[in-house]
Amino acid sequence: MTDVTSLRPIAAVLVSAIAVVLILASHRRPDLRESWTLLAAGTKLGIVGSMVPGVLSGQVYVTDIGTFVPGVRFALRADALGVLFALLASLLWLVTSFYSIGYMRGLDEHAQTRYFAAFAASLSSTIGIAFAANLIVLYVFYELLTVATYPLVAHDGTEEARAAGRKYLAYTFGGGVAVLAGTVLVFWLTGTTAFTPGGIAGLATADPVFGRAAFALLAAGFGVKAALMPLHSWLPDAMVAPTPVSGLLHAVAVVKSGVFGVARVVLDVFGPDLVGDLGVGLPLATVAAITLTIASIIALRQDNLKRRLAFSTVSQLSYIVLGLAVLGPYALVGGLLHIPAHAFMKLTLFFCAGAVHVETHTDDISNMAGIGKRMPLTMTAFGVASLGMAGIPLVAGFVSKYYLLIGTVSTGHILFTGALLLSGILNIAYFWPVVYTAFFESPERDDPKPVVENVLGGRYADGEAVTDGGHAPDDTDDTAGEKDDHGYAPDHGGQGPRDRQETQANLHPDHGPDGKLAWEHRGWGGEESTWFMLGPILFAAAGSIVLGIVPDAAVFLRIVRLVVTSATGVSV
Amino acid sequence: MIELLNERLYYLVAFLLMGIGTYMMIDKSNLVKKVIGMNVFQSGIFLFFIVIAYVSGASPPLVTAPGPYVSPLPHVLILTAIVVGVSLTAVALGLIVRIYGEYGTLDTTVIREVSEDD
Amino acid sequence: MTDLPALVIVFPIFASIAVLLVGLVRPRTGWPIATLASIVQIAITGSLALRGFNGDPVQYVVGGFTVPYGIELVIDGLSATMIVLVAVVALGVLGYARTAGPRSNSFYATYLLLVAGLTGMSITGDVFNMYVFLEITGLTAYALVASGKGGRSALAALKYLLVGTFGASLFLLGIGYAYVATGTLNMADLSGQLAAVGYTSSLVQAAFGLLVVGLFVKIAVFPLHTWQPVAYAGAPDAVSGLISALVSTVSAYALIRIVFSVFTVDFLLANPFARTVLMAGAVVSIVTGSLLAVAQSEIKQLLAYSSVSQFGLIIGAIAVGNDTALTGAAIHLVGHAIMKGGLFLTAGLIGTNAGSRTVTEFEGLGKHLPIGAGSFGIIALAMVGVPPTIGFVGKWYIALGAVETQSWPLAAVILLSTLLTLAYFARLIERMYFREPAVTTSSVETTDATDAVNVATDGTGTTPSMGMWMTVVTAAVLSVVLGVVAFEYGQLLEPTIEHLLS
Repeated sequence: MTDVTSLRPIAAVLVSAIAVVLILASHRRPDLRESWTLLAAGTKLGIVGSMVPGVLSGQVYVTDIGTFVPGVRFALRADALGVLFALLASLLWLVTSFYSIGYMRGLDEHAQTRYFAAFAASLSSTIGIAFAANLIVLYVFYELLTVATYPLVAHDGTEEARAAGRKYLAYTFGGGVAVLAGTVLVFWLTGTTAFTPGGIAGLATADPVFGRAAFALLAAGFGVKAALMPLHSWLPDAMVAPTPVSGLLHAVAVVKSGVFGVARVVLDVFGPDLVGDLGVGLPLATVAAITLTIASIIALRQDNLKRRLAFSTVSQLSYIVLGLAVLGPYALVGGLLHIPAHAFMKLTLFFCAGAVHVETHTDDISNMAGIGKRMPLTMTAFGVASLGMAGIPLVAGFVSKYYLLIGTVSTGHILFTGALLLSGILNIAYFWPVVYTAFFESPERDDPKPVVENVLGGRYADGEAVTDGGHAPDDTDDTAGEKDDHGYAPDHGGQGPRDRQETQANLHPDHGPDGKLAWEHRGWGGEESTWFMLGPILFAAAGSIVLGIVPDAAVFLRIVRLVVTSATGVSV
Repeated sequence: MIELLNERLYYLVAFLLMGIGTYMMIDKSNLVKKVIGMNVFQSGIFLFFIVIAYVSGASPPLVTAPGPYVSPLPHVLILTAIVVGVSLTAVALGLIVRIYGEYGTLDTTVIREVSEDD
Repeated sequence: MTDLPALVIVFPIFASIAVLLVGLVRPRTGWPIATLASIVQIAITGSLALRGFNGDPVQYVVGGFTVPYGIELVIDGLSATMIVLVAVVALGVLGYARTAGPRSNSFYATYLLLVAGLTGMSITGDVFNMYVFLEITGLTAYALVASGKGGRSALAALKYLLVGTFGASLFLLGIGYAYVATGTLNMADLSGQLAAVGYTSSLVQAAFGLLVVGLFVKIAVFPLHTWQPVAYAGAPDAVSGLISALVSTVSAYALIRIVFSVFTVDFLLANPFARTVLMAGAVVSIVTGSLLAVAQSEIKQLLAYSSVSQFGLIIGAIAVGNDTALTGAAIHLVGHAIMKGGLFLTAGLIGTNAGSRTVTEFEGLGKHLPIGAGSFGIIALAMVGVPPTIGFVGKWYIALGAVETQSWPLAAVILLSTLLTLAYFARLIERMYFREPAVTTSSVETTDATDAVNVATDGTGTTPSMGMWMTVVTAAVLSVVLGVVAFEYGQLLEPTIEHLLS
């Protein structure tokens, strides 16, 4: 690896920071304002993209600004792992920008200037996280990301949104404190925090007790944004944010910055060998395995589509963490490859949920019966992405999960393999009903949904005892209180009266056969929504297929291989 | 015990004054009495300084007087401190005049009630 | 200019007299003279600071008496920082005070006297002299607090005076003990003599306790903080900005001087109990100050309690007492002065402009007053310690210092103070940007509340001037920019800290 001094990493960070100023300055002219967003997104992608060939040939682009605190340079390094994340984030930002414009204008949202400015600032911080050369710089951008995304979470200004915002700040700043504490420990032990492939040398000789404490603090701190249980509960609540935010930030940038932090800690701070020697990988992997199973189970019971997707995100993120914590080369490839794979698929899913919301104001799955007729392209994309999530071949999820399975088997962790497979089945169990409801049911004739409406599918249901929505005994305690505080009516079974009314308003009695209620038919030519929204949906869906069919042609797998090879020395 | 007390009587008085002053500052609800308490407290400290300067059998630090002398430095310090104390009292009394003009009383409990009513 | 160290104290005093005298002839000259004097003061302190940072401490003996009998002025990196800070903040607040008031000539005269007192406290090398300057600072601060209209500020000033005098008197008593033990008052001389007497002598211990507790009162460490919220909330906006930025800061500097220049680290090593007390004071202050801040409904009281909590960090750094932590303390002193002064002035600006002086009245400010709300938000985040602001850098040094000495409870509290600070500032930020004001009642309520509070403010009805905006925005910018240059400052300070700890 050769270091090349270049301004490109800092330029990639600054381009959207400058856009923030321009966006704020042109708040009176929405068209100009949005063109700044698109221009910045395009430029950012160009800058990051221009570094990819160099990185693949072993170069590292470095911008060194100066000393920040003693012994720590404020430096940005675009190495393979960083470019992986930065490329992903900047590519999907461009896509999301188009979608945001369609979404925000479609709903005629308030405070759009603040929204776009905060979005640009978030991306600046995300790229900063990707290119951070040491833990301190990573922490700087990690905290800035929290600050920049807070306005997006609390965007609605309703009591629910403010509560979600407070929870978000409390959780993520709490995580930030843990990261800072871990960083202080690492710095105290070794006198440096710079990322070194294979781990910082001084840590191996340091007192293992402090080493473990530092690892625990760092993993817990990044685990908050990576939504590891029991630190995940901000994520479902943060779904009150506008859908593009949920899509890009809460499925790609923010949560992935947590995962990325874990990856940096495992690969470049401690190094896979030391993580194994300290015996901290296995506990982390166990937490991840538990998270991915339980989150999948909880997802089964969510009727709000975005909340179901949120728990799916919680579950999928733990795939990545599991892959990183198992430490085998294949598992590492699987985990890292799942970062882009999950990003493409989950973005598709969120975009679809948002498009449905904009067009029909439907948020609950139980109200979506027959919606496939109204929004055929959208729901098809949803179907494709959910197949990918479940790990069906030919879609992105398959490749990464395949590596993960091999990885866990080859390191002998059969239990984790089992958890992965179980979660795969659960994935189908919670995604298929959505697709089924959309295409094979109609508002007049929809099947009962026992799992969503009653505890344990109604088997042990006692009508009087479940006024709080109830929770299954095998749920963790986090979900117990949660059902009350996210704004649903206490007896919410997925069909609140207001949701019903909003949906009914979109149903046309005369379009169905025999005057029954049915969704208006729209063709496959795109008249279901605007191309501002359909384009990004189709792009993201196409991306997840490309990653699934020709993973080697897509640049992500090559970068991932490079990362794993340099960290473990094993060529995969 | 008595002997020790006799020897340290001055210190005792100084600290007694400080205690009385502190008590007055905390307990009295009349603002003027609080300020008087502050003065008593400071006087205690001034006396303490004078006591520490004392050398038994010595004469005042005057060039005309025969040696040995008591230590002159604390006296000088206390002169300064007294000046400071006087100015503090002046400022405090000035404030009290203003407070009386505003509230028509010097009792802190009454003032608190009045200002809570606003 | 060999007499520069004396001039730096004397000049503001002369300027203050000039304000009064010229004011007799032409009444509206207070502000220009004070501003001019502040600019000159910056120049003097700047040139002194250059010398102070450049190698050995500048030493100057007043009136030609030989040390240790005469009064010595010492300017090292730390005191140079303080005098420059005092001069710069004084100028900034003057820019604000021009329209915000109070505008009488006696105000400006007192203002300059306060500058003289603070400067004197920073550079004196003699403990009794420090007491005198402490009292000058106190007296002028009481007078400034009282310069607001109405009974509230007078009452606040009187409470401040009683508690402040009590603290200063304890300090004086401490000096007495130290004098009894050693027979000297010069700091450098004292440190040698005290070591000779022995650090475990009860006289020395008592002197340490009295001096530290006296300064705790002045710094407003919990539970000796009671004067602070009253005084800050009762004073006019410009004055709250000035004293919140400087008075406690310079007192904390004095504590560093007393602990490290007079008693030295060896004293702390010989008396683990002293260190424990400092640490306990730090922890209790950080936690309780934040909790009390969360409970406040008036902005200025909230900010005052926030100061209690932030100075806990400084005390923590003193308790840790290694070079990293002390560098952090110096950085945080400067940073906190800029941030807290800025916050008070911004709060004052918002109060003047929108009539919002309580937490609930901050609702919807983001829309009505974007620059004010933006500045407040940025400084608040800096206070929380979001990197790369100055608030973060200070915290990093102090936390690292605590970890280096393996003081785990303190380190944990310092790190968690981020969340505690967030608890009260997030409330405000949320209200500014994500809540609409209650429309129906706002007009009536606002005027009522403003009246109730305005007894303490002189600036009723004035529209903010350019100077006010400039000061506020500058503070916001500085709180971010200083974070970037803090490292260079830490480097500059290194020889001073080494000297302090040797």
